[in-house]
Amino acid sequence: MEKTITVTVNGTAYTRTVPLRLLLVDFIRDDCGLTGTHIGCTYEGRCGACTVQIGGRAHKSCMKLAVQADGKEVTTIEGLGSRDNLNRLQQAFSRYHALQCGFCTSGILMNAAEFLKENINPSEAEVRRALVGNLCRCTGYSHIVEAILAASAVRHGVKPVPPPAGTEPDR
Amino acid sequence: MTAIGETGWIGRSLERREDARLLTGRGEYLADVRVPDCLHLCFVRSDHAHAKIGEIRLAAALEMPGVVGAITGAELSTEMQGQKIPVLIPAFAANYRQYWPLAVDEVYWHGEPLAAIVADDKYAAEDAAAAAEVDYEPLPVVTDPEAALRDGAPRVYDDWDNNEIFATSYTGGFDPDQIAKNDAEVEALFAKADVVLKQRFHTQRCGVCPIETRGALAIWSEADGLTVHLTTQRPHIERLALADLLELSTAEVRVIAPRDQGGGFGVKAPFYREHVVVCHLARKLGRPVRWVETREEHLMTVSQERDQIHDLEIAANKEGRILALRNRGIGDVGDGRQGVYWGFVMPSLGSVMLPNAYDIGHADIKLRCAVTNKTCLSPSRSFGALPTRFALERGLDMLARRLGMETAALKRKNLVTEFPFTSVTGVHHDSGDYVRAWDALLERFDFAGFRAWQNEARTSGRYIGIGFACGAEFSGIPSDVLVPLENQPGYGVVTMRIDPRGKVAIFEGDAPQGQSHETTMAQVAADAFGIHPDDVSVRHGDTGTTPLSSGTIGARGASYTVAAIAEAASALKAKMARYMIHDHGLEGASADDFSFRDGAIIYEKDDNVRRDFAALADRIVMGSINVPPGEDPGLEHTAYFEAPKPMICFTAQAAKVEVDIETGQFTILDYATCEDVGTVINPIVVEGQVQGGVVQGMSNAMFEEFLYDEYGQQLTADFENYRLASAADVPTVTVGHSPTPCPDHPMGVRAVGEGRPGPVPGALANAICDALAPFGVEITTLPLKPEMILALIEAGRAGNGG
Repeated sequence: MEKTITVTVNGTAYTRTVPLRLLLVDFIRDDCGLTGTHIGCTYEGRCGACTVQIGGRAHKSCMKLAVQADGKEVTTIEGLGSRDNLNRLQQAFSRYHALQCGFCTSGILMNAAEFLKENINPSEAEVRRALVGNLCRCTGYSHIVEAILAASAVRHGVKPVPPPAGTEPDR
Repeated sequence: MTAIGETGWIGRSLERREDARLLTGRGEYLADVRVPDCLHLCFVRSDHAHAKIGEIRLAAALEMPGVVGAITGAELSTEMQGQKIPVLIPAFAANYRQYWPLAVDEVYWHGEPLAAIVADDKYAAEDAAAAAEVDYEPLPVVTDPEAALRDGAPRVYDDWDNNEIFATSYTGGFDPDQIAKNDAEVEALFAKADVVLKQRFHTQRCGVCPIETRGALAIWSEADGLTVHLTTQRPHIERLALADLLELSTAEVRVIAPRDQGGGFGVKAPFYREHVVVCHLARKLGRPVRWVETREEHLMTVSQERDQIHDLEIAANKEGRILALRNRGIGDVGDGRQGVYWGFVMPSLGSVMLPNAYDIGHADIKLRCAVTNKTCLSPSRSFGALPTRFALERGLDMLARRLGMETAALKRKNLVTEFPFTSVTGVHHDSGDYVRAWDALLERFDFAGFRAWQNEARTSGRYIGIGFACGAEFSGIPSDVLVPLENQPGYGVVTMRIDPRGKVAIFEGDAPQGQSHETTMAQVAADAFGIHPDDVSVRHGDTGTTPLSSGTIGARGASYTVAAIAEAASALKAKMARYMIHDHGLEGASADDFSFRDGAIIYEKDDNVRRDFAALADRIVMGSINVPPGEDPGLEHTAYFEAPKPMICFTAQAAKVEVDIETGQFTILDYATCEDVGTVINPIVVEGQVQGGVVQGMSNAMFEEFLYDEYGQQLTADFENYRLASAADVPTVTVGHSPTPCPDHPMGVRAVGEGRPGPVPGALANAICDALAPFGVEITTLPLKPEMILALIEAGRAGNGG
């Protein structure tokens, strides 16, 4: 069973006829030739190395079929920044030595980039909780957490917006 | 010591050269290597832990779309020789069993490969492997190593007398009479000791599981022979083994470890049977063949280590000085068929390392290793030594409690203070100030005021404790140890080449997997030559271009390989200086009269005499006229570094935890180390190595456990069931320093890659027991599961009368 799909990856439309059972991660790696998205577990969504963004939301691409991304906009690590112009998060990862072997890094960046869009001033505990879907075996996570905190908007001069009246958390 | 810090690239947290590609998805890992016309290989693996293989029916699989071929163990065993070859056998007396990469006649563990299928793509290969039908005749299964060693136990190998693969004594010498004499002396010390602690400790089967699994891509060419891209920490050893097994000339085998590998930690150090199947089929079929291991395969076949039982006895006087140690270890090595470690080399080294860091004058240490119907142990960072470290660090805490002493004080009292020191098992401790590092760690935890605070917390129902542990870990392994241990050289070696534009290239035969060699080694060379690290490139892992080296193992990078870089740089600097003396007519000057800084070579006695580094390189490499008498042209040098004895890197570690006595759950409030890493090349890289090693130790201690049922079925072959620590499970690890330069290394460096996980389980368990001292809790097994801790609390409550 095959289907012709068009998936826009990092702004480029890829039209391919693919088996229905083809995993999105294999489509990205093999059909699009974008090998920055990695496979580290048994397609169980546990390691997070395959994390990409679909429509701006982080998804594990081993848990999706390619046909489910038909007509969607996918961003992979190759689309997050460029070799000459790393974004703030990528720069922080280098500055804080938040990667060693680099195998989990793509997935962590794609997850953290989404997280930081919605969390401009996260606490360390919030960052650690946000990372439960990404396993890293090299760093012990300390530098990763430091890098994500350092890349947060508030650390870069964005003032936190106070919550709307009436929505303060219970004390 | 060589004066090497002339421009000051040493000791700086430079951002890594590796990062630009890795942060943008342009890493070059094994699975990213693409070649046209490539076939994909999938293994058919045993459903049984121990069984006779009946018929293997592959006809249906072979008829499936895209399937190109298949091979069984029986066929393969007629096409190549078995894996018991000299390059894969250590120099110990042990029962090395012949085996083939695919099982022949009998399977010995759940997951053992018995056939391989190749197809046009991986989906087709997996479908076909699932369609293979195998008849089995189940045999008795051996899973308990202690029971396996008893007389009359069912045997894994029916042509062996018993299940013992290896047994030895580590104390008293090699002669049985000497050993008996030593044992009697130790027994006499136990007899007159004020206190004797006797306790069994068990460390579960667990490992390190790099996030990138294993894999191989083999390409056969009639003209060039075999080129194989492999996940490996030691490409040169792989090449020798592949040539011997496939009966090829070494001239026909090139092994390339990918530029980027997704972690190794020891797992990618052995020679694995899967590799040779991939290579054999590529040659046989004349097409490239690729195998990328699935996570399920990985967890069923590799990354399994630790798994030791220790009956430890410590004799001490009432002041807390250790008089003697006695230990009887049992290692469960699985099937014991995997070069170059055969499962037992890890527990064996663990027994050797047992007394490390402490001044223990007398010991009787013996180990027996059993084969069982499980996959063979493969190495994990802290190679064999995590279980012995757990036993000793826990045992010393129990001893201190028995004596009514602070454990921190008892351990401090027994640390090695006079160097060089040789342990009772023969481990050379080169130098250091372990007590200073220990005291710095105590200060970091404000330990002087802790007890009062702890008691106050208990009155409000909070159970908080601090636990300590330490380790004296290998900083590289010299030939003196590695040749007998693994039949491989220990020296560090690099080839260094300076081109006419003054760019330095370093060729390294090792194969890093995240250790930052491209950055730190460039810093070392740049510092030596007074140039910028961007002008230094590091190439590694390709046997076609690099000197033979035994691999990225045992923290060899910053110790042996960096030392070789320093020595190669010294040799090339001396040559450049001789050209300066010749060209400028500096009669009587010597190489020491020149400094290399700011991209220039400067005559110190007259700094008008200077040459641009690149200009001098161009003159020597390209301008090969008026060559100084006796000199060769060119700027290339291969340097070997050997340390006469092991170099050691000390770590002291402490944990502060809070235990919930209603659930047995605990939280790590604080974890810190104090390291003696000698000269630090790149501080943030060292910090990352320590933090990563410590968290691996935490993950091993808290969560990870490979489980087999009574039929030998492996129950933990995915990350849901084999749980690794996530970011939310662990705290930030603080890394402190108390350096002393290593006297045997030209730059004083000690390397940290290997031993950091080892002390962690002891520190954590000690902290939990300290927190729960009112209940008399003494942990002796891992992992530190809440239900186990809760049961100990409840036993303590019952013992206290509720």
